[in-house]
Amino acid sequence: MTRTARCVAALTTTVALLVTAAACADGTTPAADGAGAVDENAPVTITIGDRPTPDKPNDIAAFDRNVKKFMDAHPNITVKSTETKWDAQTFQAQVAGGSLPTVMNISFTEPANMIPNKQLPDITDELKLVDLTKDLNPNVLKIVQDDAGRIYGVPIDVFSVGLAYNRALFKQAGLDPEKPPTTWDEVREYARQITEKTGKAGYAQLTKDNTGGWMLTTMTYSMGGTVQSEDGKKSTFNDAPTKKALQLLKDMRWSDNTMGSNFLYNQEEIRQDFAAGKIGMVLQAPDAYDMAVKNFGMKPADYGHAALPQDGGPHGTLTGGSIKMINPKASKNEIVAALKWIKSQEFDKYTDEQLAVQNAKDTIADKGFVGRPGITPLSQETYDRYNKWREPYNNVPVQQFAGYLESTKSLKLLPEPSNKAQEVYAMLDPVVQKVLTDKNADVDKLLTDAASKIDARLGR
Amino acid sequence: MALSIRTAARPRRSPVSWFRSGGLSSVLFALPLVLVFLYFSWGPIVRGLVLSFQKNNLVTAPEWVGTANFSYVLTDPQLPQAAANTLYFALLALVFGFPVPLFLAVFISELRTTGWLYNVISYLPAVVPPVAAILLWKFFYDPSGTGVFNAILGWVGLGPYAWLNSPSLAMPAIVLEATWAGAGATSIIYLAALTGVRTELYEAAELDGAGIWRRVWHVTLPQIRGIILIMMLLQLIGTFQVFTEPFLFTGGGPDNATTTILLLIYRYAFINGDFGAATALSVLLAGVLCVLSVVYHFLTRRWSTT
Repeated sequence: MTRTARCVAALTTTVALLVTAAACADGTTPAADGAGAVDENAPVTITIGDRPTPDKPNDIAAFDRNVKKFMDAHPNITVKSTETKWDAQTFQAQVAGGSLPTVMNISFTEPANMIPNKQLPDITDELKLVDLTKDLNPNVLKIVQDDAGRIYGVPIDVFSVGLAYNRALFKQAGLDPEKPPTTWDEVREYARQITEKTGKAGYAQLTKDNTGGWMLTTMTYSMGGTVQSEDGKKSTFNDAPTKKALQLLKDMRWSDNTMGSNFLYNQEEIRQDFAAGKIGMVLQAPDAYDMAVKNFGMKPADYGHAALPQDGGPHGTLTGGSIKMINPKASKNEIVAALKWIKSQEFDKYTDEQLAVQNAKDTIADKGFVGRPGITPLSQETYDRYNKWREPYNNVPVQQFAGYLESTKSLKLLPEPSNKAQEVYAMLDPVVQKVLTDKNADVDKLLTDAASKIDARLGR
Repeated sequence: MALSIRTAARPRRSPVSWFRSGGLSSVLFALPLVLVFLYFSWGPIVRGLVLSFQKNNLVTAPEWVGTANFSYVLTDPQLPQAAANTLYFALLALVFGFPVPLFLAVFISELRTTGWLYNVISYLPAVVPPVAAILLWKFFYDPSGTGVFNAILGWVGLGPYAWLNSPSLAMPAIVLEATWAGAGATSIIYLAALTGVRTELYEAAELDGAGIWRRVWHVTLPQIRGIILIMMLLQLIGTFQVFTEPFLFTGGGPDNATTTILLLIYRYAFINGDFGAATALSVLLAGVLCVLSVVYHFLTRRWSTT
């Protein structure tokens, strides 16, 4: 899930809290056959979360169609649905309260806490039974595995942060749009050239609504650092990599003057300015393409997406995404039924050419984008084949994502902080803002202060 | 004694006659309204009070924590700055924002024929939804040299200014927009008050040779003193609760320069999911505003018209 989507989800869920609580009261109950053998034909009822909200009638119609189709194909399985959605603010309480549906989407930030807490069921054997394991991308699968390699969820959607750049500005600045920067030194160099030749911001940084901390974390990762200890109890950003990241921003802002004049950007605002050609380079996940082109009218030919620049690395890139989790109280039969549902909804399209093509056609009919690169939750082979089937329908200039595509196969995927990630990000926002708006900002002091504040929060 | 005679002259109504004269139906008639009022108007306030003493995420069973939430928010290192920012906003709004609508209203009321036109023009900003207005002003405040304000100031050789991107300029910029947005609505109230000023006072003043400024100073302002005092209190209470502008303009930045108390409350509740801390700080703010109102009342009682 992107930052934007997450913020929206956070707000809507808070408002709809009471409704949700009522709607998911009929969630999964522990069944008697918990430890018994799996009977694939026994009648079983599962509840599916993430049902589209009533403001999206087309999505509801499609959702209901899928449910009916699935139930026709599996007469012993009854599918119910609720609008329950993952939201960082309320999710842990829902887990504790036992009010979760059998299946729902959650963020990549959750399993790290949930697996040791036994809040997710071990589904390794059932995955084999429904023939899903062999397809899953081993790199991504690590997010839902314990040390012994047992699996506790199904990753379905993955993104990692890269560098979005404006190809038209590159050309105007005399830079080769086919050769985006790969190190932070190059980013600085390129930014200088863009500002010098075009007068636009060579590079811009997200700073507002928690995205400042989010992107500082990304930069820290790319410089070989971390922001939180492994157990999530202490902050770790008060060391060389984060300092280096902030110093780089400070230099680009105050010495080079290549970061433009706006230092209060959230996701929409920065995408808007990027689409309008006011920014040369900006850290983004590739879904930035959708908003830049669809909402803000950027020319697809001008959009380029490169790998996250590294420093003394490669160290890796910040990654996030969605997992299908299964209720820890689900019986074996329910787990199998749930996995069958996940497979039919999320994975069959990867192995069924007809379905893949139909899916692409539907997306185009809905004015969506086919072919925008992402990270595969599946084996690379399966994903490549799926993309080949859909290639004739591609309406996204895939070759302009070449640098990013390459990085999805080579760069290490580093997860977001496991404990109170959003709060950590919120506390880091002003640090980034201070560096960009105060020439005399003391990076060391800023980080020491932020660390003491965050450590107090992590302990609360 | 007159009082006892009156009491005796008015016989006590028995429950029967009370019932016969429709007493029950009037109670039944009022009851739903009273209940709805209590539940929806006072329910949230009581619930907020209760929440402020709990560790509560609104889903699992709440846990009583005594005054822990209060001590937590009072020792939060972000609180002093948020409080200072809020006071700074209130002060700026009082010094620069408060006289504007008053001036507008007096100005409009002095116009005999085209007053309605100025009335419409001054009230129009109040019709623009705040979110749209703020987006528009963001456009004005574009920090680059080509931004609307910077371009205009550039003609006379000033700027470019960083506006919202500058820790020192951000708050005044927000106050400027808030004044623009609020002036129309407030001046309408003053205008209404001005129609109550007796015209013979003006005539008398004119006969005595008073010019327009003396008339305003000696007749208009003293006559609407009561309204001015009330509006000042309302503005103080309002500015202490400023949220929309900093939230949409700057998100509290840069470097927390525009983080207000309400923004802090919002962060506690919706980013940290800490509803206990959020309500504790809200209760504290409400308490401060109550005290402020009482003090204000006693301080200004002497000048009030009533």
